[in-house]
Amino acid sequence: MPSSESERRATLPNEVPLHARPAGDFVRAAAQFPAEISVAANGKRANAKSILEILALGALGGTELVIAASGDRAAEAADHLAGLVPQLG
Amino acid sequence: MDPESRNGFVGLVLVSHSAEIADGLAKLVAQVAGPSVPIVAAGGGPDGTFGTDGARVLGALREAAGSAGAVVLMDLGSSVLSVRAALGELPAETVAQLRIADAPLVEGAIAAGVTASTGGSVDEVLAAAQEARTVAKF
Repeated sequence: MPSSESERRATLPNEVPLHARPAGDFVRAAAQFPAEISVAANGKRANAKSILEILALGALGGTELVIAASGDRAAEAADHLAGLVPQLG
Repeated sequence: MDPESRNGFVGLVLVSHSAEIADGLAKLVAQVAGPSVPIVAAGGGPDGTFGTDGARVLGALREAAGSAGAVVLMDLGSSVLSVRAALGELPAETVAQLRIADAPLVEGAIAAGVTASTGGSVDEVLAAAQEARTVAKF
């Protein structure tokens, strides 16, 4: 099984904290990919497919997120999510 | 809402002693999870008081047990008892489509709703709900 690791950085819009609705959009996007994906912010790391873990990051608007994906289609997943983060609203 | 798309998504049943809690939570989950996930709220007693209504719970379970199945979340006490009683009145093939989540109601419903909205299976949605027992809030 092909495996690789990819890491991307993306910054939330200043006015958009990663609260319930944008977090739901992010999790739905992450769940489209088979890769294992994590999001780190504020010194914490969350499973990108778990809204409860994402919400527990407490990421405020303007926070830089570090998205790390491994496994099948990891680079595609990391690219897609890093592109989505600045567009959350 | 597109009735055909509803068929593919696991649903939720929300049982609470309060109609306002069940209805409000259903609206909140719909905001976060989007319109695809069927949600049935069964809150309050038969006469509009706080409590549980066995007939309403039974109807909610019947309504929710579609082709993709449904996860049932409850607040506590007689909500749990009324769900158990209702399961005893349903045919085995309906019961087989339902999963009962031992999870905090609000957090579990949000997690379950989002996982359902990703197209997750009924067991994946159950696992997401029950993850709410252990994931720290901050």
